[in-house]
Amino acid sequence: MSGARERLSFDARVRDALADPLLKVAIDRTTGNARTKRAAAMAAWPGFSSARELGRDIKDHVIAHLDHYLVQFERNARASGAQVHWALSGPEACDIVVAICRKAGARTVTRSKSMLGEEIGLPHALQEAAIERVETDLAEHIIQLAGDPPSHIIWPALHKTREQVAELFHAHHHDPGTLDSIEAMVASARRELRGRYLAADVGISGANFLIADTGAVCTVTNEGNAELTTTPPRVHIVTAGIEKLVPSCAHAMAMLRLLVRSATGAELTQYTTFHCGPKRAGDLDGPAEFHIVLIDGGRTRMLAEGLAEMLRCIRCGACLNHCVVYRQIGGHAYGSVYPGPMGSVLTPMLDGLPQSKDLPRACTLNGQCQEVCPVAIPLPTLLRGWRDRIWSTGLESVTVRQGFAVWRFLALHPALYRQASAMAVWMMAWFARGGWIARMPLAGGWTRYRDMPRPPRRPFIAQYRRRMPRP
Amino acid sequence: MSDARSTILSAIRAALGRRRGGSAMADEVTIAAEAEHLRARADATRPDRLRGGAENAFLERLVSPAVAATAERVASLSDFPAAVRRYLTAQGLASSVALQPHPDLLALDWSGIETHGQIGIDEPVAVGLALGAIAETGTLVFHSGPTSPTLFAFFPTHHIVAVETGRIWNWLEDYADAFAGCAQPRNVNLITGASGTTDIEGTLVRGAHGPGWLHVVLFGSAAPSPDRPVATDPPHFTSLDNVK
Repeated sequence: MSGARERLSFDARVRDALADPLLKVAIDRTTGNARTKRAAAMAAWPGFSSARELGRDIKDHVIAHLDHYLVQFERNARASGAQVHWALSGPEACDIVVAICRKAGARTVTRSKSMLGEEIGLPHALQEAAIERVETDLAEHIIQLAGDPPSHIIWPALHKTREQVAELFHAHHHDPGTLDSIEAMVASARRELRGRYLAADVGISGANFLIADTGAVCTVTNEGNAELTTTPPRVHIVTAGIEKLVPSCAHAMAMLRLLVRSATGAELTQYTTFHCGPKRAGDLDGPAEFHIVLIDGGRTRMLAEGLAEMLRCIRCGACLNHCVVYRQIGGHAYGSVYPGPMGSVLTPMLDGLPQSKDLPRACTLNGQCQEVCPVAIPLPTLLRGWRDRIWSTGLESVTVRQGFAVWRFLALHPALYRQASAMAVWMMAWFARGGWIARMPLAGGWTRYRDMPRPPRRPFIAQYRRRMPRP
Repeated sequence: MSDARSTILSAIRAALGRRRGGSAMADEVTIAAEAEHLRARADATRPDRLRGGAENAFLERLVSPAVAATAERVASLSDFPAAVRRYLTAQGLASSVALQPHPDLLALDWSGIETHGQIGIDEPVAVGLALGAIAETGTLVFHSGPTSPTLFAFFPTHHIVAVETGRIWNWLEDYADAFAGCAQPRNVNLITGASGTTDIEGTLVRGAHGPGWLHVVLFGSAAPSPDRPVATDPPHFTSLDNVK
């Protein structure tokens, strides 16, 4: 994350996000589209639930034999002519990438969107090394111009409305044209980036899947920028998390069905590419050097510390699109590379729990994320696990601890609990005289941005007693 | 960073509760059997799509709004240049195309069209030959190689591709199975429609960085014959596998 926003507290970032009317419009437009398209794709696929179980089992199988598959992948990748590097941490991975770039005498690199690249801080590392970075994915291009971090793992520029994109392109593009439609904006970006592909010394991309039995790296993209990034430069570098393995190309296909439908609602991305080694004898294009950097970056700790299920994640973003919290506050408020439910599980492991203890709490536990997850990650359970750890390690604030102490006391004294809840309901009803609660003591955090619905006239227990026949 | 390698592998083994230097070979057999079992489970999860046969399913998917390519059928590959001419006229394009340097294409009669083997980054039209296609998703398959450079599918604004009917696989896995154990090309490109983006407000726009138009010309008969075996027969591809 860049600059000032990161230094704000989580509460302050959320306040800023909620107070930004354009942000809500932007989030609604993209996540609404995504939910509609995903729902249509799933409705047309009766096999989804069994495919999801299979996806989960494939990933669990790979994780259970991760050492085997990593070694197999490395062996096959090397046999194809790839150079395989291993990195324990993000900074170590960046050092490897920068060293390869320096050895290649690189002044300019093109980069095709990769969340892992963001995770390890590659944009910053390239800047430090005075290597020009040209983001070629449209969304990454937009946020590079804006100087923003990504706000969604599939649509990094989701926080920008079309009007804001037009302003940016008008200010930065050499030949922006009219910019009066999204089509015109896409065409302007195409013109702007066209010349950069051939001028780059190194192309950098990520990996959606690593194919163990061939040593190939599978990427899924729609724009065509990935192949334009990875084919012309003399050197191609892939950065990949060690959890990205699948046993074979056929297993990758089963995962692709889940990934693409969950991400965009399409059945397959326009471009599904398997990169296997450098240019071969007689090939008319392709890089002379092909490097793969395999990165741990906390993944072995996840395996050791009860977060193995999170290693299933295939970064489709469906949990973000369906999260009621993400849809209110957007990605930047999380203050982490990965936002939303999956981000709230990952970030405490990647950045440390003390720095990110607010994230597991920024969740209603409504279970939507788990329901749409194509590999059935029990996200609410994992978030609750972090909450337990926040409590047991004493990271919880005094206010919250006192609040829980009061709640505990009441919960252990049912008569008092019922009296207190009856009083609360009565009070809320009084404030909801106009139909909705627009203002109420202790509820400012909610009512500042939206009204609260009127509660039922009686608490649950009272309703239950009235409805149940007496013995 | 060989140190990182051993640290990562040791950490994985420790986390999985595995002892160093266990019976790796025995494990490999078990792992392979498990993986095969998982692979077999995929068949039952696939969308029901192929009742009309692979060729119809492929075409239907290809021209569906989701993939949005255009397509036509011709009797044989020798009819391909005429189809290209028709396309160029219909689209109001100049009669000049970058021709993928595949011997089967070079052998055709391209009279009336200027063809060149070099492709520029703003090439208006490229004409190519796919290795095959996948019916399930309306996908074209390209293997990079001396006769199939990768960038022919990414530089042009219009990409016109011939594909043989007998080389349509039913499912994604059928393609994968056909090349399991074979030497891999540098790039396998599975192409499903023209390039597009939804990066601005989730709205789909075609022609992002790759082609804006994809036109597919299906040639030949789907019926297997002694000299044209069905597409799922791997030996059939070894003759055309232009990376070897």
